[in-house]
Amino acid sequence: MRNKINFYLIEYAINAILRQRYKNIFIATTLTFLIFLLTSIFFITNSIKYELNATVDALPEIVVQKIKAGRHYDIETHATEEILAITGVVDAVARVWGYYYFENAGVNFSIVGVDEFEAQYKESLKRVVETSNLMNTKESSMVVGSGVKETMQNNYYKDYFNFIKPDGTLKRVDVVGVFDGDTQLESNDMIVMSKADVREIFDMRESKATDIVVKVSNPDEVATIASKIKLIFPDSRIITKNDLKISYQNIFDYKSGIFLALFVVSLFTFFIIIYDKASGLSSEEKREIGILKAIGWRVDDVLKEKFYEGFIISFFSYMIGVIAAAGFVYIFQAPLLQNIFTGYSQLKASFELPFIFDVQTLFLVFFLSVPIYIAATIIPSWKIATLDADEVIR
Amino acid sequence: MIELKNVTKSYEINKNNLVVALNDVSMKIEEGELVVIKGASGSGKSSVLSLIAALSKPTTGEIIVDAKQISKLPDRFASEYRRDNIGFVFQKYNLITTLSVKENILLPLVPLNPDAQDADAKLNRAMEMFKISHKKDAIIKNLSGGEQQRVAIARANVNNPKIIIADEPTANLDEKLSLHFIEMLRELKKLNKTIVIATHDPLFFGLDIVDIEIEMHNGVVI
Ligand SMILES: Nc1ncnc2c1ncn2[C@@H]1O[C@H](COP(=O)(O)OP(=O)(O)O)[C@@H](O)[C@H]1O
Ligand SMILES: [Mg+2]
Repeated sequence: MRNKINFYLIEYAINAILRQRYKNIFIATTLTFLIFLLTSIFFITNSIKYELNATVDALPEIVVQKIKAGRHYDIETHATEEILAITGVVDAVARVWGYYYFENAGVNFSIVGVDEFEAQYKESLKRVVETSNLMNTKESSMVVGSGVKETMQNNYYKDYFNFIKPDGTLKRVDVVGVFDGDTQLESNDMIVMSKADVREIFDMRESKATDIVVKVSNPDEVATIASKIKLIFPDSRIITKNDLKISYQNIFDYKSGIFLALFVVSLFTFFIIIYDKASGLSSEEKREIGILKAIGWRVDDVLKEKFYEGFIISFFSYMIGVIAAAGFVYIFQAPLLQNIFTGYSQLKASFELPFIFDVQTLFLVFFLSVPIYIAATIIPSWKIATLDADEVIR
Repeated sequence: MIELKNVTKSYEINKNNLVVALNDVSMKIEEGELVVIKGASGSGKSSVLSLIAALSKPTTGEIIVDAKQISKLPDRFASEYRRDNIGFVFQKYNLITTLSVKENILLPLVPLNPDAQDADAKLNRAMEMFKISHKKDAIIKNLSGGEQQRVAIARANVNNPKIIIADEPTANLDEKLSLHFIEMLRELKKLNKTIVIATHDPLFFGLDIVDIEIEMHNGVVI
């Protein structure tokens, strides 16, 4: 009989909550909103972290650029041959790419050139070359990212686009497919077409390339090979995956700083509620505890009842808050909140937040809310319950 | 049997002010007796009731109920003692006014986690005995004073305690209702309960069911 769940006590707790209906609705609403905000922030952070990691993982191990007067210039394509001669280098590919400013939408897209007969330095590009008939058409054609497609459609270009070349003449390129990248961040604002077409749009000579990407057989040798390349081409800048990782993370850390601020604000609000609750009971509430004690409730009976009250409210708020956050972030893609993140490049189109199920986040939010709220409910009651009942009800 | 031995109770109002509510009080109440404690307001009647119910502790002296030293019980056991032995009808009833009649009467049973049948049986017996069944779902604050008192008595009896304590039970009742209360006492006396009543209502003086009258004045038994 002692071990059974005491439904009379639970019923009493539910009754107690309902008797203070408006106050408890207010508390539960605020708590739910805070839990919702906190969980959303964690969900978004996790998704973006995942996206960035995937993006970084897809990056080439070494990129070689030519530097002149401190600025980036086109590099000679024949440099690939000398790089290939270095031991440990598996492949060296001259890339032809650049940014094209799409004036109507005020957005920058990156145009990447591919060559059917070259090894592709990225899985996603390999797929494009293999599956689209980019190379087989007579006309110039391109495969575009979903963000690009959307922007073009919003600006009345459905099947083709006229690029303006540096000399002012137009170059028409047909859209033959939609690009499916390894990550959303990458594929969204990307356009893939043949190297020849990219050269034409950017007015780049056959013997030149934007940069050279190098593939090595052993990732531990990246640093050694990088310094060898630097020896052969003193006018080059060598960027390794590690360098890129750091700069990506810097962008992200700056962003998570903003979110940390939001996080702190919501925690602060939460603790104000807690403080208010913990700082005292109304005389009505005190009297009720006194009555219960006077008719034979023990301190632990009172505390158990208060535990149920706190648990019901906070767990209910937690569940609703977390479910709402999951829907908000993963189904509705976090309107408003996401802009704070993706805003880091205003020229970048928005991207999808991938669903990452993260038990740690759920636990963290749980422990930041439920036990703290329960403690705030129990402690003031405990103070009253341990007084002489006689004093409390007098 | 209830026994108070040289009990003193003082309340500390602040550092320099001590109120002596009871001064060397001794009394003996046998099982099944109905005792009336009378005296003017402030004479210490309520303090005696509180001590018997273990709602407070004496400053000095001891209180023994059924051979148990209840004046030294730790809080947890004091609660259990009240729960199992005492039915207290408070002067201000001390009902939870936002709950129903039924819920108030059940309150002492809640921590015991009774099974539903047992609880229902106890509830119905108490409500019938004190004629409040017809109002069982009414909210306390919508009841009259007399009805509230019957709820308070029903609650005090729901766990079938041996000792019933009532503090100024007729203070808020008219004469007709006061006589009703005395009828209820008669019923309880038949059940061989020990009953202690604090009152200054002359209605109780010389009443046939009263076994002993104890008079108090300024914290002393006279
Ligand atoms: N909790 C308390 N704190 C301070 N003084 C008290 C307290 N309880 C009773 N007293 C004082 O003790 C005296 C006796 O009170 P009480 O026992 O209530 O008498 P009665 O019930 O006969 O009116 C009174 O002077 C009262 O003011
Ligand atoms: Mg009194």
